[in-house]
Amino acid sequence: MLKLFLWLRYLRKKKIVFLSIAAVALSVSLLIVVASLFTGFINVFEQSAVETIGDVVLAPPIKFAKYPLFIERLEQTSAVSAATATLSAQGLLHLPEGNVRMVSIWGIEPGRRAKVMGFKRSLLKQKESPDEASFKVSGFPEDIGGFVGVGVVAAPDEKTDEYDLEAVEKMVGQSVVLTTGTVIENSKQEGTGGAGGRFKRKIVPFRIADIVFTGVYYVDKIFIYLPIEEVQKTLYPNEDGQVADQIQIKLAGDVEADLAKAQIRGVWQVFAAEQLGWGPYLIRETSIKTAKQMQSQYVAELRKQMGVLLLIIVVVSVSVVVLIFCIFYMIVSIKQRDIAIIKSCGTASSSVALIFVGFGACVGIIGSGIGAALGYVITKNINTIEEWIRIIFGLKLWKSSVYMFSKIPSEVNWVWALVFVLLAIAAAAIGTLIPAIVAARTRPVEILRYE
Amino acid sequence: MYKIILAIRYLVKRQIAYFAVLAVALYVFTVVVVMTVLTGLVTDFKQKNHSFVGDCVVGTESLVGFAYYEDFMKILERSDFVEGISPVIKSYALVSPVESEQNLGVEIMGIDVVRHSGVTGFGQTLYYRKDDVSKAFKPVYAPNLAGCVIGIDLALQRDAKGRYPYGSGPTEMALAISCFPLTAKGALAKVGGGMVNTQTFYYSDNSESGLARVDSSMVYLPFEQAQLLCGMAGPVKRTNAIHIKFKPNVGLEAGCEEVDSLWQSFGREKAGEKQAYLLKNVAVQSWKDYRRAFIAAMEKEQTMMTAMFALVGITTVFIVFVVFYMIISHKSKDIGILKSIGVSNGNIIKLFSGFAFLVGILGSAVGLFSGWLFLLKINRIEDWLFARFGFQLWDRTIYAIGDIPNQVDAKVLAVIVLSAIAACLVGALVPSWQAAKQKPVETLRVSQL
Repeated sequence: MLKLFLWLRYLRKKKIVFLSIAAVALSVSLLIVVASLFTGFINVFEQSAVETIGDVVLAPPIKFAKYPLFIERLEQTSAVSAATATLSAQGLLHLPEGNVRMVSIWGIEPGRRAKVMGFKRSLLKQKESPDEASFKVSGFPEDIGGFVGVGVVAAPDEKTDEYDLEAVEKMVGQSVVLTTGTVIENSKQEGTGGAGGRFKRKIVPFRIADIVFTGVYYVDKIFIYLPIEEVQKTLYPNEDGQVADQIQIKLAGDVEADLAKAQIRGVWQVFAAEQLGWGPYLIRETSIKTAKQMQSQYVAELRKQMGVLLLIIVVVSVSVVVLIFCIFYMIVSIKQRDIAIIKSCGTASSSVALIFVGFGACVGIIGSGIGAALGYVITKNINTIEEWIRIIFGLKLWKSSVYMFSKIPSEVNWVWALVFVLLAIAAAAIGTLIPAIVAARTRPVEILRYE
Repeated sequence: MYKIILAIRYLVKRQIAYFAVLAVALYVFTVVVVMTVLTGLVTDFKQKNHSFVGDCVVGTESLVGFAYYEDFMKILERSDFVEGISPVIKSYALVSPVESEQNLGVEIMGIDVVRHSGVTGFGQTLYYRKDDVSKAFKPVYAPNLAGCVIGIDLALQRDAKGRYPYGSGPTEMALAISCFPLTAKGALAKVGGGMVNTQTFYYSDNSESGLARVDSSMVYLPFEQAQLLCGMAGPVKRTNAIHIKFKPNVGLEAGCEEVDSLWQSFGREKAGEKQAYLLKNVAVQSWKDYRRAFIAAMEKEQTMMTAMFALVGITTVFIVFVVFYMIISHKSKDIGILKSIGVSNGNIIKLFSGFAFLVGILGSAVGLFSGWLFLLKINRIEDWLFARFGFQLWDRTIYAIGDIPNQVDAKVLAVIVLSAIAACLVGALVPSWQAAKQKPVETLRVSQL
């Protein structure tokens, strides 16, 4: 009771204590904001990979045929909810007005793809439609339809970093020309002095059936999507049956990724040996990875950068401990008479020390509480704050072309927040240790002498 | 004189002042290390961009390019402030190693290698033909064939220490390179089945500009061939840009203004020509403006980091405030005596400001020295951490960064030291003001002694 009374009294009377509360709050809020932004970015990055390529990707070293049969077998397992095939290539896309882009081409099955990932939600025109996603272009039933990323046909505004979606939607129905190519014949060319082979360029004119806007800058900027049959017809006209070079898989419910991968590998081994006649080497070299595993090197780098930045802030925040030490040292120096009176009434030295350590912990609790609240408010409103900075200072801090996503991730990481709050309380208590010992060693007989 | 004596005396005798010095030192140390590394990265990145571009670019973003560039080059050549000029074709292409099924979208730059090396640092980015850039497009294994220089990250992968596994010569490799040839109106120049131009080039060298985006997507071709591929070699030839290097005594802004003025007159002169409409999209930009999109991103990160440190630095101001508040509350008798012998309020403030200045100087010196020492060893420390724990500040297989920059910049150091001293002065301001306001008649009362 006495401790509580003294804490409240010191808090009320010694306004300087508020400085230490402010310093703790400042450090805690900064740490929470930085950790939340980094972890939010990592989470969005990993999630965007799942949204783009599914939970698990099976990629053999070479293209393979009969993929519908393989998908059928996969979907019969308990681990797989849905799967879809892709056939990929690179190309150049010629848009009107001399605009040429280098693009990555994905031959896809739009209906199946929508089951594996949230693909349909990314289609500007078709996202609200109850029908399956389709490449059909109204008014041009005979033409090949394709989807193009929003960044392929437009660039975000330099100041606002937003696309003019109305103008972009007007591109739907327009005719564009794609070029890609493949080796149609391997032979030594005469007179070239080197290796030869007849590389045949292929031209694919198509109409834009819809615009893909995933919000992931890189995906929106380079990908175009065509019917997988058309891509196959272009790249591998002599191939029998349907071919694919990747299977993207959505896992069922809460199945463990490792267990699912083992099941998928089992199905693949049987399929590749029986249906494709592949030997052990090709089967073994087939990559089966979760989307998160595919991003792991980059994510590890991001986590490392976050660690380094947090370490820097923590090192600078050590000065908060120094600040608390100074303030408490001052309080102990000024309040020596109080301490002496308390001790002369029979209070043990350890209890006197506890008054100050406890008071320090209280400062830590109040400061970190305010800091956590501040960190929460800043993180949650980070996009609004960024927008205001742009309006007031004309400085666009977050650009999708630099940071991949159009919005700053604004989810608070409560695990890190709890760690920082506990660290702040511990740091505040540590800062009071020496002043508390000084207080405990106060000798009433010296302080309360008449002279 | 008494102000200096007292300030030094307080610093030596009041041990609590050491905590203020410690706080300032810790802060200065952290800021020196982080800002040196960050500034080093930004400066290096800017320098690489400057080297890649030259001083000034007259160009258009449109892949159609602009006409009559040869006439404008003649005007530039006659001017007294230009040291070198280089016309450049820029477009996108599809590259396929012959006998493979791979197709890769790349950017192409058509350059006259000797001219371009005179304007930019291109020659120094080569590996095999660095000493004789005129042979950059001549493959050593077949000098008569058309060669191409490939961005290093397209050809080789960095190891964990950021080094490339160069061989004794470029591998014999033929690359089919295809472009959409465009008319001056932006339409496809070729109609029918084969709308693209394709030509085979032979891998002759690598270019390592140090710019990740460039090195991972750029293929350099001889100017004339690139012009043909892109459909710009018609009766009225076109190019996408002219890169310019100014003479050493010409300032960047002044030089760009001169070029702009020449360009405006040239535009008026050509107004009646058939393809004059293409000249309207052409802009004259300094290398900084030309690469603004890339440089600004790094500069913004530097600004954000500076703002963050300024925020965290408030704690240091608080510490100085508390320490001075304590010292002044203990030294009320000294202040009373000083004032009773006629020292003015201003001099009392000066005394404690001087003390704060000393704290700032001492803290900054300690922080600077330890920061400098740490930076001196930072690459060795990283090597040790990598050898022992596999830890690198940046994964060199991902980032095109060599050693951690550790060259301290005098300007940056000056700003940090001045900020630290200013923080100390601000922290000491209120306590000093309170000290000055003390009345000797109250502090020197018998009951107070």
